[in-house]
Amino acid sequence: MSSENHKDHAALAAKFNKDEARVDWHDQTLWFVRAKRDKAAAAVPDWELLRDTASRIKENVLSNLSEYLRQFEEAATRNGIMVHWAADAKEHNDIVLGILRKHKVDRMVKSKSMLTEECHLNEYLKENGVEVIDTDLGERVVQLADEPPSHIVLPCIHWKKEEIGQLFHEHLGTPEGNADPRFLTHAARLHLREKFLTRRAALTGVNFAVAETGEFVVCTNEGNADMGAHLADVHIACMGIEKLIPQRRHLGVFLRLLTRSATGQPITTYSSHFKRPRPGQEMHIVLVDNGRSTHLGRKDFRNSLKCIRCAACFNTCPVYRRSGGHSYHTAVAGPIGSILSPNLDRKKYSDLPFASTLCGSCSNVCPVKIDIHEQLYKWRQVIVQEGNAAAAKTAAMKTMTWVLSNPGVYHASGKAGRWFMLNVPFTVKNKWNAWYLQRELPEPPKQSFGQWYKKNRKV
Amino acid sequence: MSSRDTILATVKSNQPGPRDLPADYSAPTANAVDLTPQFISILEAIGGAAFLVSGYERIATILHEQFPDARRIVTSCSQLTAFAAAAAGGDPHELDTVDLAILPAHFGVAENGACWITESQMIERVLPFITQNLALIIPRNAIVATLHQAYDRIATLEAEGFATFIAGPSKTADIEQSLVLGAHGPRSLTVFLVDEHLSDAGFY
Repeated sequence: MSSENHKDHAALAAKFNKDEARVDWHDQTLWFVRAKRDKAAAAVPDWELLRDTASRIKENVLSNLSEYLRQFEEAATRNGIMVHWAADAKEHNDIVLGILRKHKVDRMVKSKSMLTEECHLNEYLKENGVEVIDTDLGERVVQLADEPPSHIVLPCIHWKKEEIGQLFHEHLGTPEGNADPRFLTHAARLHLREKFLTRRAALTGVNFAVAETGEFVVCTNEGNADMGAHLADVHIACMGIEKLIPQRRHLGVFLRLLTRSATGQPITTYSSHFKRPRPGQEMHIVLVDNGRSTHLGRKDFRNSLKCIRCAACFNTCPVYRRSGGHSYHTAVAGPIGSILSPNLDRKKYSDLPFASTLCGSCSNVCPVKIDIHEQLYKWRQVIVQEGNAAAAKTAAMKTMTWVLSNPGVYHASGKAGRWFMLNVPFTVKNKWNAWYLQRELPEPPKQSFGQWYKKNRKV
Repeated sequence: MSSRDTILATVKSNQPGPRDLPADYSAPTANAVDLTPQFISILEAIGGAAFLVSGYERIATILHEQFPDARRIVTSCSQLTAFAAAAAGGDPHELDTVDLAILPAHFGVAENGACWITESQMIERVLPFITQNLALIIPRNAIVATLHQAYDRIATLEAEGFATFIAGPSKTADIEQSLVLGAHGPRSLTVFLVDEHLSDAGFY
């Protein structure tokens, strides 16, 4: 679309849509997760009050972020954690590599961190001779397949168990044809336990960091963040600067919302609170900006920084469910990714705000009340105004502006359109008309509304 | 200017005007009712098991029945040393062979089946995660309704370097949304709710 060297959302979605049965399966699997979310939310009588409170806490965080960052740095340092600051992805990657080099470590385990996906840390470390093993099962699957995750909570939701069976057969030596989820999970458990026991460094993401106490919380179901961190000599935790919350008591609000919104569970199996390194261990936190501080200055878009990465907006989105995460060609896909990514690169991600029906379901399920669909609409306006919209779309819009602002042209083209559709339908119903590709065109009326009105108002 | 100073300066100049924090959250409380049934049913729904017991003797009996093949059993409870080894801290990697760990926890949370356990109760931080099976022990009257009450209670405890909520056994549904217990951590979680006034027959 805006750039020649990458495919846009529509093209990638068209590729995903070639296998209709698979699209239906993908759609239904995610809708099943969305339904679980609904059930969990409905079981909490004060759900709406919780959402409202979470939203207001996050608004307070954004309005006082510089102070909370300072407070967090001071408290964490007092706790014996080493705090680093990274202005961008490059600096983040350099800091992580620097810590590993200091300890002469060239093999590391990593639990889920979308920030490191955003920064392309794995590729960077690989180029510099460091092996990274992703330990979340879903992330390990996509890593073995040399793919990025397609969903921030369910990284391999686009994979079928038979395909995972084949992948594990090739990489882990499981028997060919075995696609039993229990068996495959067990095989991964044995494979990854050996990694946990032999790696001296572990990197984790951060779900929440508490300014008041200098601690951070990491949530997993598998226990992989804890297995890595508690066995390693060096624990590196990487977080975007917006992950802060003011006080520990606020965790009560966010932990009640997070997993219910994500998967419909009442809480993740493990919600681990890291405050100090264990004796003999080194603990690092990397605070990453990478465009967030600039984004904070955009009045219409800043509140997307309230996001707690639950992915409820993914699971509910009719476009995401039918186009798959890879069609968004960015680390964080789905509706929230579509409003965050243009902040990182306006040209490269100019297609994403258009990958939506603007139905508003994303905003309705968001646990921190981000006005996602309104921001999608606002981004479209910014993108078109700045001249980053697709050439065909721009041309079509300009033509429409000319037609709609000239009554003579409007009536003439309406008449011509009706004549063509009635008499030579193949001139509009063909594969070159993008509008016709996934739609049946309506039967053209015999006359325009204007003609009808002129005739009928006399009666 | 360092990255730190640049980030802080940009954040400061771009952050919106002051927005107050909302009032402290007060969840609907249910302190009058017995929270034990809710805690147990939610814990079972997330793959855990619960037993209401009169004391440690009963815990040892039940665990012996539940895990007849467990070879290496460790505990930090002095009352259970006849049944399990009192593991000392040391190299955490060495705990890889533990079949069953029995640890005390501070309290449970009725709304999500979680137990709050802190570093001083774990022997080693990795133990509740690396063990093949985990049993946690809490007093029956130490169950709070929601996470809000949980954090009120945490505020009264001594702050430790590491602590965690554990809700059920380790699990994953990454392969086609099929739930599998025992991802990297324990394959099973048993929570004992101790009530000294209970007769030994008092199963829930």
